[in-house]
Amino acid sequence: MAQTEAELLDNPVAGHPTLILRSPDFHSITDAVAEPIERKTPIGWWLFFIPSVALLSILGVAVSWLFWEGIGIWGLNVPVGWSWDITNFVFWIGIGHAGTLISAILFLFRQTWRTSINRAAEAMTIFAVMCALIFPGIHVGRVWVAYWMFPLPNQMGTWPNFRSPLLWDVFAVSVYGTVSLLFWYVGLIPDLAMMRDRAKTRARKLAYGFFALGWRGSQRQWHHYESAYLVLAALATPLVLSVHSIVSMDFAVSVLPGWHTTIFPPYFVAGAIFSGFAMVLTLMVICRKVFRLEHIVTLRHFDYMAKIMLVTGSMVGFAYGTEFFTAWYSGNPYEFFTFLNRAGGPYAWAYWIMVSCNVISPQVFWFKKARTSIPILFVMSIIINIGMWFERFVIITTSLHRDFLPSAWGYFTPTMWDVACLLGSFGLFFTMFCLFVRFVPMVATSEVKTVLPQANPHGQPGPERESKVHRSDHGRGELAPEGAS
Amino acid sequence: MIPEHDRVSLRPEQATIPPGHSWNRIPVIGAACALLGIVACAILGLGNPKQFFFSWLVSFLFFLSLALGALFFVLIQYAAQGGWGIVLRRIGEMTFATIPVIAALFLPLLLGLHDLFEWSHAEAVAEDALLRWKAPYLNVPFFLIRAALYFGIWSFIAILYYRGSRGQDVTGDPGVSARLRRLAGPAIIVLALTQTFASVDWIMSLTPHWYSTMFGVYFFAGSFVGFIALLSVVAAAMRQAGLLDTVISAEHLQDVGKLLFAFTVFWTYIAFSQFFLMWYANLPEETVWYQARLEGSWMTVSLVLIAGHFVAPFFYLMGRAVKRRNSTLAIGGAWLLAMHFLDLYWQVMPTLHPEGFRPSLLDVAALVAVGGCFVAAASWLMRRQALVPLRDPRLAESLAFENA
Amino acid sequence: MPFLVPQLPKGPNYGILAEFATPTDLYHACERVRDAGFTRWDAHTPFPVHGLSRAMGLRRSPLPWIVLGMGLTGAALGFVLQWWVHATAQPLVISGKPFFAWPAMIPVTFELGVLFAALGAVFGMLGLNRLPMHHHPLFRSKVFERVTDDAFFISIESWDPRFDPTATGKLLESLGARSVELLESE
Repeated sequence: MAQTEAELLDNPVAGHPTLILRSPDFHSITDAVAEPIERKTPIGWWLFFIPSVALLSILGVAVSWLFWEGIGIWGLNVPVGWSWDITNFVFWIGIGHAGTLISAILFLFRQTWRTSINRAAEAMTIFAVMCALIFPGIHVGRVWVAYWMFPLPNQMGTWPNFRSPLLWDVFAVSVYGTVSLLFWYVGLIPDLAMMRDRAKTRARKLAYGFFALGWRGSQRQWHHYESAYLVLAALATPLVLSVHSIVSMDFAVSVLPGWHTTIFPPYFVAGAIFSGFAMVLTLMVICRKVFRLEHIVTLRHFDYMAKIMLVTGSMVGFAYGTEFFTAWYSGNPYEFFTFLNRAGGPYAWAYWIMVSCNVISPQVFWFKKARTSIPILFVMSIIINIGMWFERFVIITTSLHRDFLPSAWGYFTPTMWDVACLLGSFGLFFTMFCLFVRFVPMVATSEVKTVLPQANPHGQPGPERESKVHRSDHGRGELAPEGAS
Repeated sequence: MIPEHDRVSLRPEQATIPPGHSWNRIPVIGAACALLGIVACAILGLGNPKQFFFSWLVSFLFFLSLALGALFFVLIQYAAQGGWGIVLRRIGEMTFATIPVIAALFLPLLLGLHDLFEWSHAEAVAEDALLRWKAPYLNVPFFLIRAALYFGIWSFIAILYYRGSRGQDVTGDPGVSARLRRLAGPAIIVLALTQTFASVDWIMSLTPHWYSTMFGVYFFAGSFVGFIALLSVVAAAMRQAGLLDTVISAEHLQDVGKLLFAFTVFWTYIAFSQFFLMWYANLPEETVWYQARLEGSWMTVSLVLIAGHFVAPFFYLMGRAVKRRNSTLAIGGAWLLAMHFLDLYWQVMPTLHPEGFRPSLLDVAALVAVGGCFVAAASWLMRRQALVPLRDPRLAESLAFENA
Repeated sequence: MPFLVPQLPKGPNYGILAEFATPTDLYHACERVRDAGFTRWDAHTPFPVHGLSRAMGLRRSPLPWIVLGMGLTGAALGFVLQWWVHATAQPLVISGKPFFAWPAMIPVTFELGVLFAALGAVFGMLGLNRLPMHHHPLFRSKVFERVTDDAFFISIESWDPRFDPTATGKLLESLGARSVELLESE
């Protein structure tokens, strides 16, 4: 008996909420997820893919020109030596963190609703990390000696400076990218096997089959697999906390007012999850419509996601308040000035965009109507990402443009190449995501099947068997073998 | 284990302390300790008032942090609609219901404001530009108003949730759960803000020149670890004593153990981040706080904290079996309670004893006094009601809960 | 390498494959097969069925130990690398800190520990599962194609001491199998 979405949105006081609508069986889940990939490419896909590739080519042009001419093509100056480049880096890394949170942290908290979105979110993480890595890579100037960042032999016979947060970033982000890729891939193996078993052409069978590693759903394999999944989730959780904390330390270990604040590590992590969930929301609103997966990625999922955004947005707001109070309380004139300058100085426009997007507008999510309205969710997800981009911009640029010595004060204005790099990075992100949804099951099908009521082995027996009262001994082997019963 | 079909509802006898049970005597024992402690404090404190106030502050903060940790725990359970922890929720409720008692235990500190806080001395403020700057916030009248505000708000939330839950035992009204869930979000925000400013007022301002934006989070982390540690000890002890042993299962214990592990790591992350950033930038206005705590015998205490509040519990609580057994989990919890106390001690005492770690009999006396009141209050509440929310609509789910 | 060689029965038959309709049927069947004393057998499902490892009598996976070992190795490596670089090979005074500034060594130590642990988890899991193994006698069964879709199976291999081509098949039928098939070795 299918319930209406409206009924299902009522918060259940007792019992588990129905996560998947229209009471599908296992096969229809398989079909719903696999079928869009097996069809001829829909027009809708091309409508997203082509503009994404266009933006990606802008990135190619911008980066090539950057390597040729140098960092001077950007608007960076003294004192603002970092602006859009590092803002974009932190922005993209932050977005990536939501994928890991959904995969790993929600798994540890046994939030089964994550199964509808974790595959797409993990993919989003990998692509976001790709986009993020571009910026520290290209902003070094002499890109051809970027290998100096790694502990590899080099022509000067020197080692990298392990005490620098910039180097911790190299380790943290590359470990994060690797582990995210591994986690995503491990989760993908059963679904690739599903695609292999459904493949109609030899090419598809070989391609999916190769990457499926010969998976055959053996319980002895699931046994170790589930252990690995749990371990990876348990590892990814402190990893995601550490990565964005290390990114925050790029700023926090300095002595610059507005940068050197002890609350940065958890504050950055909360902000990252906030913006990442917003991006997942943006992607899911579009994908569930295009791929007709509204019964798997439901309004209830969006409700939960909006709540998480409300929580993390509140944490961000809390951090803003704490920073401001402490800036006054510290009695440090430079510290206090930095915050007054943010709110009332030349960059006040950026500051108030940040506050209205990050603190004021998410308050709408206190209301269930807003949390379950697709237009509001979509618009809010974009507003939040704009706000979070501005947060990093405000932190980086305003603290640099006016620090201790007024004679060294300046102002940063972006050039078209700053803009091109940012837009181009969106091109890379959406191109990769389009390719992902075209060829890879975008829902973790085997995981979604586990949340269906039929997946519970302590439920009803199958039609061939007459129903008997079973006393399952929960594996303790206390019941004597009865032989053929 | 109660068979599945019997677990749908609990009979009240399964969830109350039977008459004649040894636990009925705990309130009296607590009250006796309280009396003993207060007398000891009075005798020892007369000769050394400064030491008394600092010792009392540490013990007060310890038990307050447990109560606030309990409040967070219960509010989060409501807000996140968590099902597994419902059988444990009443323990949290009884813990935070002591907040009005703890408010009363705050009063002795009011006699010692001048001993505790440098900024309360007018002459010190007159000579010190920084203290003059902070005077609009750090002055005695505003301090008192804020304290009243904190306790007022905390008591209001605590009583609201306590009464709501107890009322549901009688009426079984599911609307109570819905109402408390809706209020939980705003309550958490208010709690976070008040707790942050309370930690600024009562701990951070002991070193009035020093500041850290992380401090509120640090206090929260410690208080949450403290409560989960208390929860593990109480839950394990209840099972051992034959109370709720058919209700709280090894599954629940394991989950409490996992939370204890996770938040121990979280505390370490927060504590280390605060230290690390101040160590790295090496600014004298910030390092002054750590310098006092990393010299001489305080350094030894710091090392004990690292080893005892992080390393040992990390490896101890990793294993599955440890978290499922009464004795082993309770040992872990008791150890972390001691470490949490040591953490608060380490935060507060170097202000009084910068020269080194100087434990005093008053430390013990204050702990016994404040602790006795806390235990007496919480356990008295325990005798008067069911130990689990009998008619919570999701109780069955919690009873049947199983780990993967 | 003996580790990577697939472990399959040697005779003409691989074993018997039985299909079941629902996870419930499979679960109860597994308990019976376990209790009947079979050792060389397996269940196959499109998703992990809750509690099936217990129903099969499987011991806990040793994977967490592998992960712990790898993680500690990675962390130690990271720490030693940094200590060696900054305190021995290239001692430089950086921002006034001592050569062996251990707090600053924690981020890289932690990250390398996590990396090695994760590699241990993934490659340990693949090793314990003997993957990749692209060819297996089970893939010759037509009905087995649905194992990643919505079908549930028990397979009992022929080199199990209690295996008998006819009796085992009858046992599985009596446990509620929808279909039973004898598979040949490759």
